[in-house]
Amino acid sequence: MSSRNSLPVPSSSSSVPPHLAALAAFSDPPTRHVDGAMMDYFLIETVNALRQSSKIALTREREREKEMIEAGLIPPPALPVKDTKDSAVSARDSTGSLASTKGGKVAAAGPVDEEEEALKVRLETIGIHVGSNFSERLCRDRGLFTETLDAIKFICKDIWAACWDKQVDNLRTNHRGVYVLQDNSFKTISRLSSWQGRPDAVRKAKVYVSMPAGIIKGALARLGYNATVSPEVTNLPQCTFQVKLPKGS
Amino acid sequence: MAPNLRLNAVAFISPQNHPILIRTFSKQDENAIKYHYIAHTSLDVIEERASSKSSECYLGLLYSMEDVAVYGYITPLKVKIVLAAALTDAVVRDVDLNMIFKALHMAYYSAISNPFLVLQDPASAVHDSSRPLLAGSPKWKHLRRRIDEIARIVGNSSNTSTGG
Repeated sequence: MSSRNSLPVPSSSSSVPPHLAALAAFSDPPTRHVDGAMMDYFLIETVNALRQSSKIALTREREREKEMIEAGLIPPPALPVKDTKDSAVSARDSTGSLASTKGGKVAAAGPVDEEEEALKVRLETIGIHVGSNFSERLCRDRGLFTETLDAIKFICKDIWAACWDKQVDNLRTNHRGVYVLQDNSFKTISRLSSWQGRPDAVRKAKVYVSMPAGIIKGALARLGYNATVSPEVTNLPQCTFQVKLPKGS
Repeated sequence: MAPNLRLNAVAFISPQNHPILIRTFSKQDENAIKYHYIAHTSLDVIEERASSKSSECYLGLLYSMEDVAVYGYITPLKVKIVLAAALTDAVVRDVDLNMIFKALHMAYYSAISNPFLVLQDPASAVHDSSRPLLAGSPKWKHLRRRIDEIARIVGNSSNTSTGG
């Protein structure tokens, strides 16, 4: 991953007249790189921290819901299904997490799945932010996008190369707005292993790939395509992302 | 480099055609509103230029009014940057303007990368990201500072080239 320097340093090797050197530094800032191993450690800690914070946020939401039920403001739920008033409460709720968003759609499953969902939504939100802003940076030198396939190819080549040091191994499409991007050795999960065996490692990998899915989604959203991206991990380290573009684009 | 390239104003317009930031550098403050008007009229010209001659970010001279020449630039992410420069007879090179536009683009990029800029539901922010961030919002303080820096550099270079 590369990010921008905070202070532009005039480069002496540019071919511009000397009085414009400072401007050249502004227009072509040097890229900064993040160490790959450090990124892995950082991601581990991020997932742990977000897991804790989503747990706290969910307990807080459940307590509020319980209070409202006891106060008689909302009818007690016959099934564990959220009604509209709860989602209104949760939308106004402010959490203490970095992504500052509420847990998304809560399924009618047990609390463990709820926390996983909330964690995935937080990771995806971070990814959306990173992806959209980083694609601004990558679009600096290229021209406008001519068509949808052009945008997808930009994602497959430029974003993959900048974030994960390689390009997408396989791109398939059904020409009706669904693209499948396949990476045979996806960097984020290539070093993931679990002492409980392969299936557990696959389950844990599903959490970690939600941030890259967010990166893709954010980049596409900035380019103007509101796609849904669903990542799938069947066997490590292979990973596929299914990108569904809305009709008419 | 055109030694007398004076920047009058710069305007950033979002992909949804909302104004993000309009900043004037000229001394006369009573005419500041005219640059809002200039940015607004540039939108039509940009749209017709961007749809026909595609795959080129720098749009060149859009049009010229009484005393300003207006140049346009559209990023691949549909953010439009409009530059109003004082109309002059000297030659203004495309490559210089291109570099100014790229510097402005990078300033916008670094300002918008701030994760605390939009503290709300990000799903809606992705679709309509500039709704709470219209022109004049105090959150664009850093972008303003960077743009002032760029304008200062361009202005300074005109001073030094006439001196030496």
